[in-house]
Amino acid sequence: MKRIILVGKPNSGKSLLFNQLTGLRQKVANFPGVTVELKTGRFDAFELVDFPGTYSMSTLSRDEDIAVEKINQALLDDNTALIICNLDATRLESSLVFGMQMLALARRFNKKMLFALNMIDEVERFGHHIDVNALAADVGCPVAALSAKTLQGISEFKQQALALANAPTVPAEPMNEATTANIAADTPVNPLVQSRKLAAKYGIKASIVLKTQNRIDAFMLNNVSGSIAFLLVMFLLFQSIFTFATPLMDGVENALGALAQAITGMIGPGMLSDFLNDAIFGGLGSFLVFVPQIMVLTLIIGLLEDSGYLARAALICHRPLSYFGLSGRSFIPYLSAHACAIPAIMAARTIESPRKRLITMLTIPLMSCSARLPVYALLISVLIPQQQYLGGLINLQGVAFFSLYLFGILTALLVSFVLSRTANDDAKSDMPFILELPTYRLPHWKPLIHRVVQSAKQFIYRAGPVIFVVSLVIWTLGYFPSDAGGLEYSYLGQIGHFIEPLFTPLGIDWRYGIAILMSFLAREVFVGALGTLFGIEGADENIAGLAANIQQDGLAFGAGIGILLFYVVALQCVATVATLKAETGSTKLVLGLVAGYGALAYLLAFMAASLIG
Amino acid sequence: MLTLWDAPKGASVTITGLKQGLHQLVLNRLSEMGLDQGQTVLCLRRSPFNGPVVVAIADCVYSLEQQIASHIFIQPLS
Repeated sequence: MKRIILVGKPNSGKSLLFNQLTGLRQKVANFPGVTVELKTGRFDAFELVDFPGTYSMSTLSRDEDIAVEKINQALLDDNTALIICNLDATRLESSLVFGMQMLALARRFNKKMLFALNMIDEVERFGHHIDVNALAADVGCPVAALSAKTLQGISEFKQQALALANAPTVPAEPMNEATTANIAADTPVNPLVQSRKLAAKYGIKASIVLKTQNRIDAFMLNNVSGSIAFLLVMFLLFQSIFTFATPLMDGVENALGALAQAITGMIGPGMLSDFLNDAIFGGLGSFLVFVPQIMVLTLIIGLLEDSGYLARAALICHRPLSYFGLSGRSFIPYLSAHACAIPAIMAARTIESPRKRLITMLTIPLMSCSARLPVYALLISVLIPQQQYLGGLINLQGVAFFSLYLFGILTALLVSFVLSRTANDDAKSDMPFILELPTYRLPHWKPLIHRVVQSAKQFIYRAGPVIFVVSLVIWTLGYFPSDAGGLEYSYLGQIGHFIEPLFTPLGIDWRYGIAILMSFLAREVFVGALGTLFGIEGADENIAGLAANIQQDGLAFGAGIGILLFYVVALQCVATVATLKAETGSTKLVLGLVAGYGALAYLLAFMAASLIG
Repeated sequence: MLTLWDAPKGASVTITGLKQGLHQLVLNRLSEMGLDQGQTVLCLRRSPFNGPVVVAIADCVYSLEQQIASHIFIQPLS
């Protein structure tokens, strides 16, 4: 199929234009190790490819390298019928810098090009008029004014784009591959001077465009009001993860439970029923429960990003986080990691410096995700008495919860600090913090909805297969030999007994060993597994009953604290491991991380067990 | 010599040059952003504890950390 490619600077309304041209049916292609993502969709008889927003053809980071390389490939490709370059009509100067570079390349490679002068509605709201025909004559390339938001001019734009794409190309002398290597160096004289001249002639005065934005920033970035706004926004984000998403998660859980019951009821008791109930609905189901939480989280982050606030949040956090070798943009991934590490690792894509992005991703698993909550809840109710101080203002168990979260965050910062001192010093891997503060805008629902759906899909596709295999293995080991009489005598139980010496130094016996092993499926399985071993049915819903049982059985305080610390630090989630591998592109690194966090977790548990007793 | 890092909040300054020591790629980007000799920059904000400065260049607002801003020579606009 012939292709039309869409390029342009970030924050210029390009994604919305893409969504308006293609509708909601899109495919996303990722490239391992970098943030680059190519979206494709159908536009009439053409495939429309949305290239990542690029400031310039001369690159600053490895991610931009790949984006530019992809643009170069498209320039060489005979199937590229048209290049659409999106311009922000309110900021002609900055968007034309890239636009003029692109135009020079299009000419060299004999490609047709069309400028989409986007956000023309905003220009008109400023009472300004851009003479589109004169601008087209000056740049020497067709220009179509439109607004992807109000759809003004969009049908004329579509017609013009299709007419251009369908028109035959005038053949030019063939290019040889070697010339493409020098594209950046060769880009003609001064797109910069050219774009300044054009902007001065046709654009709105910068002071007018920036007025509203600066007024809002005076509030949002102010030391006092800005801090309050920041805390409010973060509170909302946290609320959305834990409060707003809960009914949805419960809904999924109930629906899966009902489905499991209906299906197993139909086929009657037996191995197949056990398999479906425990491995499929139990294992895979406990992972699907997180999908609504991830969607809510993506929605809120998307709202923050599209409204322009995310850049401000990054600015506010940059200084404190840079002490630990992180970027201001590491903040949002860290925060989302308290829901689930997987979307957080993907959110780390917005970090400009590849090195800081890597450090952020590697430390994200240390944040206490919601899968650890049931484990914390169980062990805290076993170990910490239900006591209140200051007339109920401070609850001892609550303090314990908070301490575990804090311990995770502090460990992450510490590990970041150590990693940032040891990582290599490649210039391109440490891009300085240059952040554009985009205009505040009301987010449009179309790209947002697409993003939310995409986040759920990516989560399921990435983590699903791994979870499935691990569910299968752990279930099989725990189920067979089936005549043995319970989990204790299954293969898994035998393994548990076999490796008991490993857990003895931690002051715990084989039962906890098995529960920890089974947590590699998903951490919250710890509770269910212990429930089975202590003979409590439905331990997930009956944490208090199980806790009483464990207390009677006797779990040393130090050993219990040790298990808690182990759960804070150990990287036990296979889905996270799979996502990390996909995002970093390195198996070795991720396995090293599992081993490293495992060793640290074991050491902490050992110290707690032997020092506290 | 004054640099952009020294510019007080609300000041309009003219760029007089770039200090040695930044990577060529970063210099290219700065120049494309409009941080070129002779261009005017408005310092919008300074952050506490030596956090990034916020500046308006051409039609965009950027936030720059000390490492960058202290490499840009300026002259106050009279």
